[in-house]
Amino acid sequence: MAVTEARPKPIAPEPYRRRVLEWLTTTDHKKIGILYLVNSFSFFVIAGVMALLMRSELAQPGTQFLSARAYNQVFTEHGTLMIFLFIFPTLAGFGNYFVPLQIGALDMAFPRVNALSFWLLPVGGLTIVSGFVAKGGAAAGGWTSFAPLSEQLGTGEDLWIAGLLLVGAASILGAINFIVTILRMRAPGMSMMRMPIFCWSTLATSLLVVLATPVITAGLIMLFADRHLGTTFFSAAKGGSPLYWQHVFWFFGHPEVYMLILAAWGIVSEILPVFSGKPLFGYRGVVLAFLLITALSFSVWAHHMFATGAVELPFFSITTEMISIPTGVLFFIWLATLWKGKLRFEVPMLFALGFVAMFLIGGIDGVWMAAPAMDFAIHDTYWVVAHFHYVLFGGTVFGIMAGIYYWFPKITGRMLSRRLGLWHFWLQLVGFNLTFFPMHMLGLQGMPRRIADYAPDRGWNTMNLLSTIGAFVIGLSMLIFAVNVILTLRKPRTAPADPWSGNTLEWATTSPPPPHNFDRLPVIGSARPVYDARLAGTVAEGDGT
Amino acid sequence: MSTAEMASDERAVRGTSSPVLGMVLFVASEAMFFAAFFAIYAMSYSSQPSWPPKDVTVPSIGVPSVMTGLIVASSFFLQLGVRAIRRGDGRRLSLWLATTLFLGAAFTALQLYGYSQIEFGIREGIYASLFYIMTGVALAHVAGGVVFLLLVLVRSATGHLTMVRHESAEAAAIYWHFVVVVSVALYVAFYLLASVHPKGP
Amino acid sequence: MGRRGRWRLFAGAGAAAALFLSACARQGATVQGEEIHRLYGIIQGLAAFVFVLVEALLIWSIIRFRKRDEAPPPQVFGSNRALVGFFAFGAVIVAVLFPFGEQTLSHVQRQEPPLVNLRVEAFQWEWTAYYLNEGIFTTGRTLKQPMVMELPVDEPAHIMLVSRDVMHEFFVPDFLFMRNAIPGHPNTFTFTPNKIGTYQAQCAEYCGLWHSRMTFVVKVVSPTDYAAWVKDKTLHAIGGNCSPNGASVHLTAKNTTWSTNCIAIPAGQRLSLTVTNLDDGVDHNFGIWPSIQDAIAKKGQLYQTGRFPGVATRSFDVTATTTLKPGRYYFQCDVHGVAMAGAFIVK
Repeated sequence: MAVTEARPKPIAPEPYRRRVLEWLTTTDHKKIGILYLVNSFSFFVIAGVMALLMRSELAQPGTQFLSARAYNQVFTEHGTLMIFLFIFPTLAGFGNYFVPLQIGALDMAFPRVNALSFWLLPVGGLTIVSGFVAKGGAAAGGWTSFAPLSEQLGTGEDLWIAGLLLVGAASILGAINFIVTILRMRAPGMSMMRMPIFCWSTLATSLLVVLATPVITAGLIMLFADRHLGTTFFSAAKGGSPLYWQHVFWFFGHPEVYMLILAAWGIVSEILPVFSGKPLFGYRGVVLAFLLITALSFSVWAHHMFATGAVELPFFSITTEMISIPTGVLFFIWLATLWKGKLRFEVPMLFALGFVAMFLIGGIDGVWMAAPAMDFAIHDTYWVVAHFHYVLFGGTVFGIMAGIYYWFPKITGRMLSRRLGLWHFWLQLVGFNLTFFPMHMLGLQGMPRRIADYAPDRGWNTMNLLSTIGAFVIGLSMLIFAVNVILTLRKPRTAPADPWSGNTLEWATTSPPPPHNFDRLPVIGSARPVYDARLAGTVAEGDGT
Repeated sequence: MSTAEMASDERAVRGTSSPVLGMVLFVASEAMFFAAFFAIYAMSYSSQPSWPPKDVTVPSIGVPSVMTGLIVASSFFLQLGVRAIRRGDGRRLSLWLATTLFLGAAFTALQLYGYSQIEFGIREGIYASLFYIMTGVALAHVAGGVVFLLLVLVRSATGHLTMVRHESAEAAAIYWHFVVVVSVALYVAFYLLASVHPKGP
Repeated sequence: MGRRGRWRLFAGAGAAAALFLSACARQGATVQGEEIHRLYGIIQGLAAFVFVLVEALLIWSIIRFRKRDEAPPPQVFGSNRALVGFFAFGAVIVAVLFPFGEQTLSHVQRQEPPLVNLRVEAFQWEWTAYYLNEGIFTTGRTLKQPMVMELPVDEPAHIMLVSRDVMHEFFVPDFLFMRNAIPGHPNTFTFTPNKIGTYQAQCAEYCGLWHSRMTFVVKVVSPTDYAAWVKDKTLHAIGGNCSPNGASVHLTAKNTTWSTNCIAIPAGQRLSLTVTNLDDGVDHNFGIWPSIQDAIAKKGQLYQTGRFPGVATRSFDVTATTTLKPGRYYFQCDVHGVAMAGAFIVK
């Protein structure tokens, strides 16, 4: 039998202090994965509240309760925390938990470095947030912290720099860990082309982190030096240039956004096949698309700088349009996977389908700006805000929720409530579109981004109000999600090993897995070892059909 | 042995071990880190009418040349040590490690001496900014390499490294060679270029 | 999913499509803007095609391929031919989009000999426009009044855009155009407004505390109205009138605005000057010039304090005022120029 035998419960529960110490010092990738998820969702709540604050202020023209000074700090911290302390670490957390399981390994290649990578995160995140109690307030330069403005700002900016240096170091160490684990620790029979597609997405993300994140590390050091050591890298006086900051930032910044989406593509590419009952159509095509996008992402950065008048427009325009080609291939592959399948609309599948529908819009939005002449009209407006929320929320957050509902039983041994999940999904879908679709109109009507307030005679009032209503609907959907998680965690651990009739190795062990992951592995003869084993009758049917 | 060590044993026989692969990736990230600074250097070079700028007195090339020669030599000696441990000769490795460390220390001392001789301060424009930050950061990396090599020397001197298991020596060597390459690149950018082929009238 | 779910899906998709196709860019009140509007239409066509195609296939799959029995679906692994097709689809779209984009760009960037030549300076948090041919200027004052610039219709206008401090962005939504103002890197562009009207505009690059209030107005008017406006600007004096109140003056700078735009001191006396700068991190100074023209030409400055950032207070003993003959002079913060200026009267 390939399924691991269930463990007997201990007679007396562990003393509380010993359990806490265990969590603080663990090097087990599964516990570290859970720590990542808990940390990420904590910051999601903080940054989410910030979003509600901003939308409350912007619902109507005129300053209601958030001064310009406060608003500028809030939008800076919202963006920074969402990107670096929520989205990326959640994907890393899923990777930590599931990459070793999916490749049939015992743990990550460097378990102690893995623990270090995690603990740097809450320290870095708290450093960034601590700006709110610093003299002069939190960082207020936007998550992009353009020079020379960022050189004028107060102590909060230094805390922002320090926090990001820690978070960046953590992600680079983590990425090295993932790459070595994937290349060196796959179980016998698992060639690279039989590896789960989620592992490929983690590999591609990790390559991006290793090559792009150090660039922003250098930039942050230069920014700090300009602020405190008298250097002039980014100030126009004495030979420096604000454009240098933008080049350094966006050379990192564009690969960064792919770091935020690749693993979500991986999750969706796992879930769609399972709930269609068919293999992923064109596994090779997905791998090729991932690798092409990874490589091309280094060639597009200056499309963020079209309006500076200082970059080579045709080159970056064509590379930007080209990167949409492999991205489009992914859509066709997903559609072809669904085609003639037997679709089961469990909650993970709903979120995965929502991902496809929403990410399409975000992706198209982006290509709109790839033509520089068009970009001159909508750059730095709410069109851009709409675009990146469609790809990061409509895309990655829907993908994350898909992953949560899919893998929750494996991690905790309990199935999330389907009923609450449906409420969560529909409210999130409606709320999300109500919040961000109007921003397309606002952008076309000329509303710039990052403004704490707007005049009442610009024609922007209705769209802003709709957007705010949508934001609170999202908030409600998240409350329902939180209730679902809390109620479910109180239930006993009854989830089967394979509730969804999955394909990949994590479903070949108990829910949750034992500390050593597997008692025995099924034979690995394809990219779907658990599907094969189920077909051959060598593993018990899961309860998920 | 831990599970990670077991896994790495399995693959060490037929390819790069995990610690060495990890170090290669780390060095790749460090290369991108330095590349960012060099990119700013290149952009400044192309937008300034003269390089080094008119008001900058470039230090004489003597001390930097000696310094760079020493650290390049240290790479050769270190590699001799690595080849020694691949034959199982821990004693030779310790000898060559000590030599490398000595040369690294000499490099550091000369760099610090060099700083005291420089006529421009850090606040004097883009050239000064690049010079001090890039050489300073590189020196920090040399210091890190020295610490790493010292740890390996301790393990080697106490007999822990064998012909089959000496990944820390391999990894440290890769890191040190990288640091040497960066030192050479900085030598070219800030000393050789200024003396041999400065830009401008 | 059930019938209710299916209808909800249709309704949602239909609403989304309708909204999507209804979003509309402005027409473009310049020759270049109209080109950009045309490009917008082309992109919208391509986008709508891709959007409808993919979403329709998705919705169709959801409805048609719902699991209804236990028979396993065909285990299709994909083919190279399909893959090539998928890549080809995107390549064709790009092959259509790119040339249109480039063509529009070359039209937008085309230089025409301009009638109106402007130097526009952006600063925290307003704008000053110098009309180089006419010898006039118009300026905004932070939080107090937006800059109003007038342009004659159907005449090319050329702008050299600079920044006095941080990154800003000159954005006129109705022109479908924006350009960064970058310190140390002037940007130039030409456009020809072709619709008379009043157009609201503002800075689009986040530039600190009052970014949201860094608005300005572009008024496109008939040539006659334009000439009248130029004449009015030429005659307008800065700073009004005031009387001396001793030889001691305390001036405060807040939000890039002085606490007064008229200073008067008795003739032959040393000015005891205190300047309080309340703008955190922003440099100001106090300079006295013979006239506004001299200040613009940067010739003949009579006195200046050093620049210093806020929040700080400095005191100065100005001996230069003892030799000033009675008359009307001009003071400004040299960092922010005419936007932070007034009359300096010696009586």
